[in-house]
Amino acid sequence: MSERSELHQDGDVPVEPRYVGQAITRREDPRFLLGRARYVDDVRTQGTLHAAFVRSDEAHARILSVDTSAAEALDGVVAVLTGAEAVEHWSPIRYDSTFGGWQGSEYWPLAPDKVRFVGEAIAVVVAVDRYVAEDAAELIGVEYELLPPVPTVDAAMAPGAPLIHDGWDDNCFLRRHVETEGFEDVMSECPQRRTLRLEMSRHSGMPMETRGCLAEWDDRNERIVLHCSTQAHFNLRSGVAEVLRVPEHEVQVIAPDVGGGFGIKHPMYPEEIVCSLLARRLRRPVKWIEDRREHMLTACHSREHYHDVEVGFDDDGVVRALRARIVVDCGAYSMWPLTASMDAGMALGILPGPYRIRNYLVDALSVSTNKCPLGAYRGVSRPAACFTIERTMDAVAEAVGIDGAEVRRRNLVRADEFPYTSVTGMVYDSGSFIESLEKVLEEADYAGLRRQQEAARAEGRYLGIGVATYTEQTAHTFEEFKKRGTPITFGFETSGVEVDPSGHVTVRISAHSHGQGLETSIAQVAADALGVDLESVRVRFGDTTELPYGMGTFASRSAVLCGGSTRLAADDVRGRMERIAAHLLEAAPEDIIIEKGRASVRGTPTASVSVRDIAHTAYLTPQLLPPGEEPLLSSTRTYDAAPGTGTFSNAALVAVVEVDVETGGVEVQKVVVVEDCGQIINPLIVDGQIRGGIAQGIGTALFEEFVYDEIGQLVTTTFMDYIVPGSPEVPDIEIHHLVTPSPFTILGIKGMGEGGAISPGALIAAAVEDAIRPLTPAHVHALPIRPDRVRAWIEEGAPQ
Amino acid sequence: MTRRTVTLSVNGQREEILVEPRRLLCDALRDDLGLTGTHIGCEHGVCGACTVMVDGRAERSCMTFAVQVDGAEIRTVEGLASSTGELSTLQQAMWDHHGLQCGFCTPGVLMAMTDLLERQPQPTRDDIRTALAGNICRCTGYETIVDAVEAAAATGPAR
Repeated sequence: MSERSELHQDGDVPVEPRYVGQAITRREDPRFLLGRARYVDDVRTQGTLHAAFVRSDEAHARILSVDTSAAEALDGVVAVLTGAEAVEHWSPIRYDSTFGGWQGSEYWPLAPDKVRFVGEAIAVVVAVDRYVAEDAAELIGVEYELLPPVPTVDAAMAPGAPLIHDGWDDNCFLRRHVETEGFEDVMSECPQRRTLRLEMSRHSGMPMETRGCLAEWDDRNERIVLHCSTQAHFNLRSGVAEVLRVPEHEVQVIAPDVGGGFGIKHPMYPEEIVCSLLARRLRRPVKWIEDRREHMLTACHSREHYHDVEVGFDDDGVVRALRARIVVDCGAYSMWPLTASMDAGMALGILPGPYRIRNYLVDALSVSTNKCPLGAYRGVSRPAACFTIERTMDAVAEAVGIDGAEVRRRNLVRADEFPYTSVTGMVYDSGSFIESLEKVLEEADYAGLRRQQEAARAEGRYLGIGVATYTEQTAHTFEEFKKRGTPITFGFETSGVEVDPSGHVTVRISAHSHGQGLETSIAQVAADALGVDLESVRVRFGDTTELPYGMGTFASRSAVLCGGSTRLAADDVRGRMERIAAHLLEAAPEDIIIEKGRASVRGTPTASVSVRDIAHTAYLTPQLLPPGEEPLLSSTRTYDAAPGTGTFSNAALVAVVEVDVETGGVEVQKVVVVEDCGQIINPLIVDGQIRGGIAQGIGTALFEEFVYDEIGQLVTTTFMDYIVPGSPEVPDIEIHHLVTPSPFTILGIKGMGEGGAISPGALIAAAVEDAIRPLTPAHVHALPIRPDRVRAWIEEGAPQ
Repeated sequence: MTRRTVTLSVNGQREEILVEPRRLLCDALRDDLGLTGTHIGCEHGVCGACTVMVDGRAERSCMTFAVQVDGAEIRTVEGLASSTGELSTLQQAMWDHHGLQCGFCTPGVLMAMTDLLERQPQPTRDDIRTALAGNICRCTGYETIVDAVEAAAATGPAR
């Protein structure tokens, strides 16, 4: 435990929290409800030009020529730029793993000579409005020399497969192998073994606001101002500066209101570079707003995983050994700043999940194909890893003839084992794995559900019950990313806390809030730490000029890391206010208590001074300050949640589904979740994250799938063929909590933003398999659980 | 392309715009009239983010050309609150029940659900879910939106 967290665990704020733990309605909501929010397409600048991109129609081809003459001649067109023309003005986006054996890709903002997926940008048109820009883009002719497409991992790994990247040995970004000592002996001695093959489809977070940016040139500050729908504005500034080869102080990134991110808006994208370059060259604002088709073609896809597993276990269903081969289809390029090996690397680390598995052998392959690059989506690899380990547990249960809940009870890490170091070296700080399971079985009335299932079967209805558990690694920083081989280790977040001369508070955070409610929850932390009213606190974010640096919002880190850095900075400021108040009240600083905006002397409540008066003194009459005290009531601090391997939330869930065995349709009727994310800052927001995550997980389980054909054409490019769950498909979710604070983090907070999305694939698969078990021995091994798959599984059990 | 004059009443105010026949109503509202509360999520009529009221009924403004609604009364999210900024019953209920997260789908949800409550003041939860089926929300899981609409209905006629 770090020295700092001990300090705060002991609670050096002498009063009970007024706000942390309270279900406070979000302070940011009115602007969204009134239609007054400002997303990037709402940012209006005089003289803005609009960009449209010419994108590859081919999955794999050499570009022979690009004819822009007709486009340039069109009225209203201001500029046309091709990849070949632009090659001198920038570097390719390149992001390399630190692991040996890595093969790196070069992702040009505009492809100069070769395209590697359908949708890759080749040229850009800038015109007076988007309608004209699109007209012009259609006039640009691209001549290709077709290369053999490599649209699947099987095609990519086949002997003699065409190489996607020149100079590579094969189509694999990275291969990793980890094996515990004596693994083969343990596996071979296991009384029982089973093998499974599990597949998760390629899909994505699909935020309702597509990507977009507006770049302008700021003459006064001599810099590019890039307004962008991004989750990580500081990282984006670093990336844009690197690719455009300019100093970082020549780039300012502003992330205004962002209409959902889910990981998709974490990477840097070519269009952001292109608009920045054009704005600087043209000295005019250049805006590009992605349309939904472009989003489906080019915003990072996620989670296309293929897992082959062998599990060894004893006759009681206790797992002794796990062998896995993880193959991830990473698409054409390594995205900045997470690398193409992120998914396979994380799956490698987290696959054993909340279970006590000590013998493990894993091969993890990150494979390149002629498809959209793979990136993050809520949970990253964990939905696939959870799907695999939970389906494995269910297979073990079936093999030894015990219930799915019971097999988990026998394998979960117990409360007395925390902190528990997993077989892959992850430190599970604390948790309630078994307690959550027991509670969810009780809350859902598991035994009663089994009786209902019996009764339904007697009526010819196929109800199924699923159980799943997971552990959610959150707020991991330097130590975890070092292990994953990312050059940037995302080691901290930053907060600046300022009490202004009027006694009002501004908290500036490096995270970005795009639905997570940080404007409210961080204000709750700050108000408690400073002893002021919530109404006097404003939380600001989204502009790289507001703070020195920070990473952004991803990996369920903002509450933990910005909550922690806010607390540290607020403690500094409160300390200074206490010293000033003590001087004004002629008391000792340790006797000063600040609450509800007033500082008073312990035991003498009549001797008091307001925060406003303290602030006024500090800034405007500094001659009254204690000798040697600096006047500014501000502090900027970082927080890394040492030891940097993350803090682990956990949950257990029960679901009930009904399968229509004629059509193969699946209806999710009930989901009960017991979730433990340590100290909760705002229960309203936490429950909102759980519900939203589970809804997305239902999409993963039942609907969502990017389908490429055999020549690498994406055939799902609208919401009519890429199905996301609507209101009729998502049931009301019953939520219960346990609270096991983290011993590692300030206030004991754990992250929880991704958790909801992790388990539904596993949970609903288990329930569907349970539902159709009377008809078929088939295993639900592939997501999404489409009606045709359900019918095929049922057919497997039909009498021959 | 020849431009045409389109006259609209938008949130009770008369507006005249000169637009190409191909100009979408959502673009006209956002770019010609500066009403950026109406959002564009898919441009193919599925996600519902662009929903506005046209002559009292919810419509997709991304599937409507501005010239098609010449003379119509349009109501957008900016027209829901009172002139002094007091939230409508539904807006308030959405706030109270955490019916929004990123907020991008919210204007479309508000317009579709305002339409529902005006046509059917006492909907069941199933009615609400069915009516909400034309609006994709990627953040909330819908339950809190349903809670909000139910609560707004219980509060009484929309203000």
